[in-house]
Amino acid sequence: MSADGFRIVGMQPTPPKAHKKNRLRGKPVISAALLFLIVFGCMFAELLMTKDPTYMDLAHSRLPPDGEFLFGADTMGRDLFSMIWYGGRISLAIGFLSMAISAVIAVVVGTASGLAPKAADAALMRLTEILLSIPNLLLVILLQAILGKANVLSLSVVIGVTSWLSIAKVVRTEVQTLRGSEFILASRAMGGGFVHVLRRHLAPNFFPSIMFMMVMNVRSAMIAESTLSFMGLGLPVNVITWGSMLSLAQNALISGAWWMILIPGLFLITTLVCITNLGNYLRKSLNKGQRNL
Amino acid sequence: MGENLLEVRRLSHTYTVNRHMTVKALDDVSFSINKGEIFGVVGESGCGKSTLARCVMNLLRPTAGEIFYQGINISDKKQVRANRPLLQTSRQLIFQDSVSGLNPRMRVADIIAEPMQLHRIRPPRGSYRAEAEFQMRHVGLDASYLDKYPPELSGGMRQRVAIARALSMEPSLLVADEPVASLDVSIQAQILNLFRHLQAEHGFTFLFIAHDLSVVKYLCDRVAVMISGKLVEVAPVAELFSDPRHPYTKALLSAMPIPDPRLERSRTPTVFDPAAAPLTGALTEVSPAHFVLTEGGAADA
Repeated sequence: MSADGFRIVGMQPTPPKAHKKNRLRGKPVISAALLFLIVFGCMFAELLMTKDPTYMDLAHSRLPPDGEFLFGADTMGRDLFSMIWYGGRISLAIGFLSMAISAVIAVVVGTASGLAPKAADAALMRLTEILLSIPNLLLVILLQAILGKANVLSLSVVIGVTSWLSIAKVVRTEVQTLRGSEFILASRAMGGGFVHVLRRHLAPNFFPSIMFMMVMNVRSAMIAESTLSFMGLGLPVNVITWGSMLSLAQNALISGAWWMILIPGLFLITTLVCITNLGNYLRKSLNKGQRNL
Repeated sequence: MGENLLEVRRLSHTYTVNRHMTVKALDDVSFSINKGEIFGVVGESGCGKSTLARCVMNLLRPTAGEIFYQGINISDKKQVRANRPLLQTSRQLIFQDSVSGLNPRMRVADIIAEPMQLHRIRPPRGSYRAEAEFQMRHVGLDASYLDKYPPELSGGMRQRVAIARALSMEPSLLVADEPVASLDVSIQAQILNLFRHLQAEHGFTFLFIAHDLSVVKYLCDRVAVMISGKLVEVAPVAELFSDPRHPYTKALLSAMPIPDPRLERSRTPTVFDPAAAPLTGALTEVSPAHFVLTEGGAADA
């Protein structure tokens, strides 16, 4: 073979990349940043507020946005800018609290159903299906009526208690496929009890599949809260949330005070879109990392 | 015999498929394993080997019969409850499938330390992590694998992790359910050598389940042959291979491939005919320590 016909075969260094890969590419940067801003703004509402959000001054009733009232004032003369941050706190709290409540119930019921003998499993699943077949809003209203006057905690509990059903079904299916795994048998043979198996083996394996649903639950809880407040079934008018702000704004439509409905609506929708985006990203990235054997 | 670590007496296990059908996975099986011995169980797929392992590990409740481990009747609920910590720490299990045998979402260090943490054993080498590292070095893995997840490891490495986890408890009985069946041949050899080496070092008693006769021949001291839930022959390994008595054992041995194509081609394997040797009767001692399932002279056929 001639010398010029000689070719290098086997391992070769890869040529240096032309562009440095952007680390943030494909990640929901804008959504994360916006959500971060809104959440922190609400957490440290006291630093941002220019006025007392509960202070009513009819002299400023329905004032359009200006230098003093950045987002305008509502029918009762309260400063919308301060109300947004102050009320967002409760809206977000309800969202996260009810998500936590629903997740806990879903994990407990789903795991119990997945590990239980056939008859108990069937009973639990039929029960969740019956509950699932009832319109959610109806169930929420019924429960809230039973609990009496709404406050932040009772509203979160009501929303949480009605939104665990679909997560529980996913958990149950995952647990059923996992429970026959040999690592669970091994753990039991080594003396692992129910709590240990759930915490160390089951939960880490089904968590990725319910992660997305949990994030989406924050969103739907916030929607539920604003729907209820808008209909006058949620928190009383004097408790400021994005939902109650919107509920007051229904009169504003007639009087042409656009800021009263647009601004809280914009904040609510931005938050929801950001949460949805993050949830979608989480779902994609968690599915990617799994089972590429 | 005070030397017995494990004694299985007339053990049976029946799986219920549905109301009308049951499967007898183990049928009147009796044997005993001495302390420090490597006891092999061979048989075709579905003959009840794994059921045996699971009964010995208390993962299944036997339908009939008794299992004695260090004199404790482990088929009796009360005695199991009274000795639970001892039973859970001194018996350890290794599975065939290293993929489903290790939690894919746990780091290697946590997997190895899991039994120690469960039993709140204070790690003798300071931390659980150091202990995991020590056990890993024992099975031929270095510390760089501590933070890996099982799907990132090869089959042989995963099986080493499973072995390290089992050995971290210093067990007196190690039950391995086809631990090398899912590995390719060169890795099988590595793992078998590791088992041999570790057994010599730790001196644990080893119940080794396999379907590959050459593996058993290489590793075990005594071998039991099983078919459809029955034990047909128990003998020291050399004797079983040189002087098989039961027709099924003979058929099994003749099915072993010879690594020479010319010899292999001219060979006709013996076929086991269940009608010619009914699987009834009792184990009888034909020569010292060599037991064969005998009924009406079937063993001499």
